[in-house]
Amino acid sequence: MAQRSAETLSKGPRFQVSKGLMTVLVSTVVLFVLCAVIAPSSVSSGPLGSMIPFASILAIAGLGQMLVIQQAGIDLSVPSAISLAAVIVTKLPQGDNDKLLGAVLTALAVAVGVGLLNGSLIGFLKLNPIIATLGTNALLFGFIMFLTGGIPSSSSDLLLGIVGGTTFGVPNSAFIAAIILGIVVLALRKTVAGRRFESIGSSPAMASVSGLRVRIHHGMAYVWAQLLYATAGIMIAGIITVSNAFMGDAYLLPSVAVVVLGGTSLLGGRGLPTATVVAAVFLSQLDQFVLALGVNFAIRTLVQAAALAIGVAIYTVDWSRVRSAISRLLSTSSRGQNQASLPSA
Amino acid sequence: MAQSKSKNVVMELRGISKNYSGVPALTDVSLKINAGEVHALLGENGAGKSTLMNVASGTVAPSKGDLVIHGERYDALTPALANKLGIAIVHQHPAVLKDLTVLENLQVALPRSVFKGRAANEVGAELLARVGLKISLKLRVEDLTIAQKHLLEIAKALATSPKILVLDEPTAALGQDSVELLFQLVAKEIANGTAVIYITHRLAEVRELADIVTVLRDGHLMATSPIDKITDAELLAQIIGRELDSTFPPKHKKAAGAKPNLVVAGLTGDGFTDVSIEAYPGQIIGIAGVVGNGQSQFLKALAGQAVFTGSIEINGETKTGRSLNGKAALMPADRQREGVMMRMSVRENSALASLKKFKLLGLLSRKKEVNAVHDTLTSLSIKAPSLEAPVSALSGGNQQKVVMARALLSNPVMILADEPTQGVDVGARSELYEILRQASADGIPVVVASSDAKELEGLCDTVYVLSRGQVVKTLHDGENREEAMIEAAVTSTTKVIRIEREQREQKLGNEGVLEKFRRFLRGDYAPPVMLTFVMIALALYIMPKSDTYLGDFNLNSILLLVSAVAFVAIGQTTVMMTGGIDLSTGPLIGFLVVIASFFINDDAPATAIIMGLVTMALVAALVGLVNSSLIRYVKFTAIAATLTTYIAIGGFAFILRPEPGGYISTAFADVLNAAVGPIPYVFMAAVVATVIMEYLLRKSRWGWQLRAVGSNEESARKVGVKTTRSIMGAYVISSLFVFLGSVLLAVQLGIGDASQGVSYTLTGVTAVVLGGTSLMGGRGTYVGTLMGSVLLIQVLNATVFLDLDQTWQYWFQSALILIAAVVYSLARSRRVKRKK
Repeated sequence: MAQRSAETLSKGPRFQVSKGLMTVLVSTVVLFVLCAVIAPSSVSSGPLGSMIPFASILAIAGLGQMLVIQQAGIDLSVPSAISLAAVIVTKLPQGDNDKLLGAVLTALAVAVGVGLLNGSLIGFLKLNPIIATLGTNALLFGFIMFLTGGIPSSSSDLLLGIVGGTTFGVPNSAFIAAIILGIVVLALRKTVAGRRFESIGSSPAMASVSGLRVRIHHGMAYVWAQLLYATAGIMIAGIITVSNAFMGDAYLLPSVAVVVLGGTSLLGGRGLPTATVVAAVFLSQLDQFVLALGVNFAIRTLVQAAALAIGVAIYTVDWSRVRSAISRLLSTSSRGQNQASLPSA
Repeated sequence: MAQSKSKNVVMELRGISKNYSGVPALTDVSLKINAGEVHALLGENGAGKSTLMNVASGTVAPSKGDLVIHGERYDALTPALANKLGIAIVHQHPAVLKDLTVLENLQVALPRSVFKGRAANEVGAELLARVGLKISLKLRVEDLTIAQKHLLEIAKALATSPKILVLDEPTAALGQDSVELLFQLVAKEIANGTAVIYITHRLAEVRELADIVTVLRDGHLMATSPIDKITDAELLAQIIGRELDSTFPPKHKKAAGAKPNLVVAGLTGDGFTDVSIEAYPGQIIGIAGVVGNGQSQFLKALAGQAVFTGSIEINGETKTGRSLNGKAALMPADRQREGVMMRMSVRENSALASLKKFKLLGLLSRKKEVNAVHDTLTSLSIKAPSLEAPVSALSGGNQQKVVMARALLSNPVMILADEPTQGVDVGARSELYEILRQASADGIPVVVASSDAKELEGLCDTVYVLSRGQVVKTLHDGENREEAMIEAAVTSTTKVIRIEREQREQKLGNEGVLEKFRRFLRGDYAPPVMLTFVMIALALYIMPKSDTYLGDFNLNSILLLVSAVAFVAIGQTTVMMTGGIDLSTGPLIGFLVVIASFFINDDAPATAIIMGLVTMALVAALVGLVNSSLIRYVKFTAIAATLTTYIAIGGFAFILRPEPGGYISTAFADVLNAAVGPIPYVFMAAVVATVIMEYLLRKSRWGWQLRAVGSNEESARKVGVKTTRSIMGAYVISSLFVFLGSVLLAVQLGIGDASQGVSYTLTGVTAVVLGGTSLMGGRGTYVGTLMGSVLLIQVLNATVFLDLDQTWQYWFQSALILIAAVVYSLARSRRVKRKK
C-alpha cells in the first residue's frame, strides 16, 4: 500500500471540551461569581442546599430529553412521565418502607412500557414525535388520575431519607445525578450501541448506508428517556413529601431548555450530556439569583427566555459574518446616510 | 450592418467564464443562439453544460463575459429578468411540488396572465393536452410518475410561449412515446420561431433534432458546427480526450484457472434490469454510463440496501440482501450526506463500522480503537489535523480516505465505490486508486461506478456500460478504452423499461369505485369526513342517556368553548402548512387577555375598548414577527424560536398582572355571547373564518404559495415563490387568529389572569392534528381543523354526561390523537407500498 509516510498523523487530545460545554461552563462560573458579589445570600448553604436537589432532578430529566433530541425528536410526555413515577412510588407503598423497592421497580417497568409505546409509534409507525408524545402524555395523565383519583399521596420515610438526605454535607440527589451522568456518558461513548446511537443521530442517511438499524435506535431513544424521567420522578417523591399529578408540569420546558443551552441541536446530532447537566445547574442557580435579588416571578421568566435565546443564537448565528457585516456597516455608515436620502430627491 | 446574416440571433453569450472558488467551471465560452433552430449542447458530466445554461437562465452570474438578448446587452440575468425576456428552462430535476395538485402546480408557477379571463380548468387542460399528459388536473403531483412530472415541467415551460427554451436532458426519464411527443413539440416550437437549446448525452437525439451542435469539454468550447457538416466520429473525438493528470496503478494479470470471486446473475431492481457481472480475484470491475442510468441503484442493491431479484454470489457463497447489508462496504456518491458525519471526529467516522473489534471487557477500549484507526489512516497517508478533528475540516480527498478507512477496518466482503473521486484533488485520486487496487489484490471484490470514463479506463479490468438500467456493453481487458465506453453510452438507443404506460392508463382510465375511494382516503378531505362520522356517532350514543345533551344550554356552552379553540387552531394550521409550529399561541392568548383586562372594563368608554382591541392586535402581530424573524433571520428552529417567546410572553403577562385583576366588561361579554337560538354569533364567525381561509388556501395565490413552501422550499423558490415572506406571513396570521380567540377567552375568564391560557398551545395543536393537517407541511385543511376543535370539546363535554371522571377525559383525548395520527398515517402510506 501507499507507504509514503507523510508527516505523522496526530492522535489528538485524549479529552476534548466541546464548544457547548465550554460556553455553559463559563456562563455558570460567571453566574456564581455574580451571585457571590451581588447577592451573597444566594450562594450560602441554605439556598444552595435547596437548589441542588432540584437542579439534579432537572439534570436527569434533561438527559432523557437530550437522548430524544439528539435523534431529531422531541418528547412532550415529560410532565406525565415524571408525575406518574412519583405517584407510583408514593401510592403503592402508602408509606410502607418494605414496599418501596417493589414500587421503584414497578415505576421503572412502567417507564419501559411507555417508552416502547412512544418508540414504536415514532420509530416504526413514523408518527411525528410531537403528536405521538402529546398522545401518550394524555394517556399517562389518565393513568395518574386512575391511580390517585386526584388525591395526593405521601412519600415513605425511607425514600425521603435516601434521596433527601445528605452525605458529607452534600445532598444525596447530587450523587445520584452524577452517577446517572456517568452512566449516560459511558453508554454513549464507550459502548458499541452508544456509539452507533450517536452516529445515527449525527447522520441517519450515513448510518443507513452503513447498515445500521436506524429505526430501532430512534425508537429506543424514547425508552432510555422514559427511564430517566421515571428516575427524576422517583427523586421528586424523595424530596417533596406529598406527590400530586401535576408536579411534572414544571419540567417540560426546562428539560428542553437545558438541552438546547447545552449545545445539542434540535435538528439532531451529537448529544452533550455533561453540558446538559451543567446547563441544569445554571438554570436552577439563575432562579436562585433572581430570587435573591428580590425581583418577582415575571423577571425570572424573562431572564430564562433571554438565556435560552442567547444560548440558541450562539450556535445558530454565523458570528464571523455578523462581525464582518457590522464592520462593513460602520465603515460605510456615512456613505449609507447619503444614499438613504437619494430616493426622496 | 454587421448583423446582415439571414439568421436572427436571439441570444448571444460572449466570452463567458465562471469560477467556483478559484476552480474554473467555464472558460471563455461564446455561443450564438438563432431563432427557429435547435442548438444541441453535448459534453461529458462536468463539462460545464448546466453551468452555462444556469448563466443563460439567470440562476448563476458569470465571473467574466456578458450576454446579448434580443439586441440588449446584460452583464448577468436574474431568474425574474430571464422570465421577462422569454427564457424558459426545463430543469433536469423537475421543480414540481408534490403536495399540490397538477392544476395548482401550474397556477403557482405561471404568471396570472396565462389564466386571464378564462376558467383555470380550461387553461390547465389545454396546457396538459399540449404535452400529451392525460391526467386529471385534480391529481396530487406526488401520485405522478417521474415521466409525468417531467412532462408537467415541460408544460409549464411552454405555457409562457418562450422565445428561448432550454431543455436540460429532458428525455432521461421519459418513455419512448413521450420522447416522440416531445420531439414533435420541439418541432412545433421551432416552427413558431422559438430558439431551443437542447442538452443531451445521446448522439441519436442530436441527429434527430438538432440544427447546430456545440461540444463542451472541461469548461471549454470545443467547436460549434451545423449538424450535417460533422460525423459521429468527429463529435466523439471532441467529447473525449480530456487530459488526465493522475496516474493509475498497474492492472491485474488474470491467473489461469482462477475462479470468479463475485458472480452477479440477472439482478433486477428499481432502476436497473437484468444486470449480470463477473469478477475474478484481483480484478476491479467498472460500471460506466451517463449519471443516472441506474449505477447508484445497482450498487445500493449489491450493498443489500435495495430490494432486488436475481442472485449475488461471493466466493461461491450465495448472499441475500440481509446478509450483505452492513457487510458489503458502500462508498456512496453523495459523500457529504451519506458518506461521513460532518460534525463527528475523524476517529469516530473511521471506527463506526468496526466498533465490535475494539471491545475490552464489554466496553470500548480507546487504545485499541485509536491504534487501529491510526494505523489504517496512516497507511492511507491521510492529511488531517488530528484524529479528533471534525471530518468537516478535511478536504474532499481526505474525507474520502476516511470513508475508505471505515470500509477497510470493517473487513468487508465487497467494496462498492460510487463516484469515489468526485470532488477529490488530483494527488489524492492516485492514492485512492492505489488503495482500491490493493484491496482488490487482497481478494476483496471491488466494484467502481463512475461517470468519468477515463478513470474507469485507467483503473478497471472489466467495464460494464449501463444505459437506462441495462448493460449495453461489456468491455474486457484491453477493450475498455474511454472511446468505447462513451460510444456505447451515447449511441445506445435502449428504452426506459418501466410500466409507466400501464400505470398511466390505470390512472386516466375509468377508475373503479374502490380506486376512487382509495384516492379519497389519501386526500385532504378524508379526515373531516371521518371526524363527522365520529361526532355523529358520539352524539347518538349520548342522546338517549340525557335530555339536556342537545339542549340549548349545553350546545351553546360547547360552541362558545369551541370558538376560542377554533380560532387558535386556525392560526396554528396556517403555520403548520409551511412545515413549522407555533408553540407560543397558548401564552399569547393568556397575555392578550391580560392586556384586555386593562382596557375592556365595565366603566370604560367605547374608545378605550377599541384602543384595547387595537393594542391586542398589534401586540399579536409583533409576536408573530418576532417568532418568524428568529426563524428566518437568526436561524432558530421553529420549536426553539416559539419556545423562547413562549417563556418570554409568560413573563410579560406576570409583569402586567402579578395577581389576577381587571374585570372584563359585562356589556362587552353580552355582545359576544349573543346567540341565535343555541348558536352563538362568535361560532358563526369561526365558521365563516374557516370557510374564507379554506377558500384562500385552495383558490388564491397566497394559499398555493403557502403550501408550496411547506411542500418543498427549494422547489418553491425555483418557481418564484418569495419563501421568507410567505413563512413570516404565516406566523403573523397565526398570532392574529390567536388575538380573535383571546377576545372570546377574555369574556369566558372574565378577569385578567396571567396564569391562564397556556394550555391552548397543546389544545390547538391537538385540534389541528385531529383535522388531518400534516406537521410536515404542505397539506391539510381548515375545515378539518374546525371539526377537530368541535370533536375535542365534544368529547370533553361527553364525559360529564356519561358520568365519567377526569381519567376518562385524558384517555379520550389521548385515544383521539393517537388513533387519528395512526389512521391518517396508514391511509397515506398505503400508496407507497402499492408502488413497490
